[in-house]
Amino acid sequence: MEPPVIELSHVRKMYRGRVEALRGISLQVPKGCVFGLLGPNGAGKSTLVKILTTIIRATECRGIMLGHPVGHKPTLKRVGYLPEHVRFPEYLTGAQVIDFSAGLAGVSPRRLKVRKGELLERVKMSEWQRRKVSTYSKGMKQRIGIAQALVNDPEVVFLDEPTDGVDPEGRRDIRNLVRELRDEGRTVFINTHLLTELEQVADRVGILSKGRLVREGTLEELTAAQRQYELRTQGPIPPGLAERLRAGGATTGGNTVTIDAQGPEPMQPVIDLLRSEEIMIRSMHEKRLSLEELFLEAVQDGPGDGEGGAR
Amino acid sequence: MRAVWTLLVDSYRLLRARILFWIALGISLLVGVVYLSIGFTETGVSFLFGAAEFEHDVLRQGTDEAEILYLGIFSRFIVGLWLSWVAIILALVSCASIYPDFMSEGSIELALSKPVRRLTLFFSKYLGSLLFMLLLSGSFVLLVFLALRWRIGTWNPSIFWYVPLTVLVFSYLYSVVVLVTVRTRSTLAGVLFAMLVWFMSFILDFADEMLYTFSYEGRPDEELYEDELKLKQQLQKWHRVNLVAFGVLPKTKQTMLFADRLVVVAGDRGFSERDFANLLMGGMLPEPVGDEVDRALRRNSVFYILGTSLGFEAVMLGLAALGFCRRDF
Repeated sequence: MEPPVIELSHVRKMYRGRVEALRGISLQVPKGCVFGLLGPNGAGKSTLVKILTTIIRATECRGIMLGHPVGHKPTLKRVGYLPEHVRFPEYLTGAQVIDFSAGLAGVSPRRLKVRKGELLERVKMSEWQRRKVSTYSKGMKQRIGIAQALVNDPEVVFLDEPTDGVDPEGRRDIRNLVRELRDEGRTVFINTHLLTELEQVADRVGILSKGRLVREGTLEELTAAQRQYELRTQGPIPPGLAERLRAGGATTGGNTVTIDAQGPEPMQPVIDLLRSEEIMIRSMHEKRLSLEELFLEAVQDGPGDGEGGAR
Repeated sequence: MRAVWTLLVDSYRLLRARILFWIALGISLLVGVVYLSIGFTETGVSFLFGAAEFEHDVLRQGTDEAEILYLGIFSRFIVGLWLSWVAIILALVSCASIYPDFMSEGSIELALSKPVRRLTLFFSKYLGSLLFMLLLSGSFVLLVFLALRWRIGTWNPSIFWYVPLTVLVFSYLYSVVVLVTVRTRSTLAGVLFAMLVWFMSFILDFADEMLYTFSYEGRPDEELYEDELKLKQQLQKWHRVNLVAFGVLPKTKQTMLFADRLVVVAGDRGFSERDFANLLMGGMLPEPVGDEVDRALRRNSVFYILGTSLGFEAVMLGLAALGFCRRDF
């Protein structure tokens, strides 16, 4: 089994003014997956990515990225990054933004020549490459931002709110691009608060709340842990029967009975009881929590002590 | 090295996008053309490309006096006013926002997330900022170099000393802008502090010159009355105090005056304020009296002028770099 590309243990960040943005994050990101980091505003998502990309220094960090300690500058040759609210110099054209990024990442001019054309094609910006960035829409800037993040052929790509301000077509393109990057064997780390976007592409998800990682795992694992079975009856359940069902651990409401369970077995006595009372069953189905429900639940259950989270 | 080159290219692109750069270049060109319009004929001096001519016995084509006058107009009026003042102010204003823009959210992350050390980013950006003054003074002095050849008939490469000297003076002041803008991210505060330092330097330089003149020049001690001698000693004491205070500031004016040591006129004669003033007053060129340099250059050593100024710049940049490297963005 290949070692994880990112392995963090007890990452802490205390800003001036004693604001604790990260409170001991431990995390592993396997190679070649799309990892989505979710969290409400101020949860510490961007802070974590900025620590990994050396933009911010951690107060405490025992972590490894691509086999080197976090903060090791030469490792960043193998890393791409699209910051949140990216702001390119307005005097540059799209192509020059890629040149700039390549120059700083140490990409040779010969390699850049080939790579730039490929990337512009890939993000559908070839036609606009000679126009100044100041004339671009938000979506176009994001596309160029992604292209510059990929110019050094990175093994790990950090995308901070990549679909922010992008139209539906652009979002679909970005999702497809993320899948392609994963298929090429790259690890994509996405920071977002757009749950539906992430649900469609992420293999693993971490949920940050007030500087702590409150959930982490594959989507399957996280949503399966909260599996429910829901049964619908023809007409409302009589109050006396509803009372008996609730006493057995079910949740009732109008014409529905819901039970938290990993399998359909606990539902069988409920069916028997309803049938014995000659209640007609209309449907029964397995219900998993959506990412949004999982997120809301995790955030509500998350750490509530003290102040935490920033940026 | 590739990263440094990338940042320098980026600085050049930024420069080209600044309207003030083109305005400054346009003014330079205009001043250069006006300078070029002054010429010497076999009988005297001509202005506006020969539109007005004045006969003169000494100031005419091929004489040392003509060369000194022509170079003096450049050195005292054009460099003294345009390059040493207006161009530097324009450059300061134009370059003041470079660091705040570079450090703004969404922009700084692009650079810091790359495998380049922060110190390299900081100093490459600084070098790139000096391009404004380098290109401005370089293009202007090149124009003057060609004008000298056309009007005087000699190639005088020594005037290119004005390029590094103006860039050096700009760099002293720009280091203040960098420190203030890195710490506060306020462009206005950066320019104002630089102006304040420049003004203080000017005042203390003036005080230095005055105190030196009254305490070390004039009649020898033996010829002075007791009261006069006491006053002289008092002034010498104040001169030393002023020298210490002035020591911590950059010597902008005195650095520019170095050009008088370095620029050669009429073959091997050093350019002298005295010669130029003499010619302006209609007099003749006096015999050379050895090392013809200004009093300002004689009174302070090279180490004092350049060493302390560069020391000031190093402290400003050191503090700014420290702030830049330690900051969380």
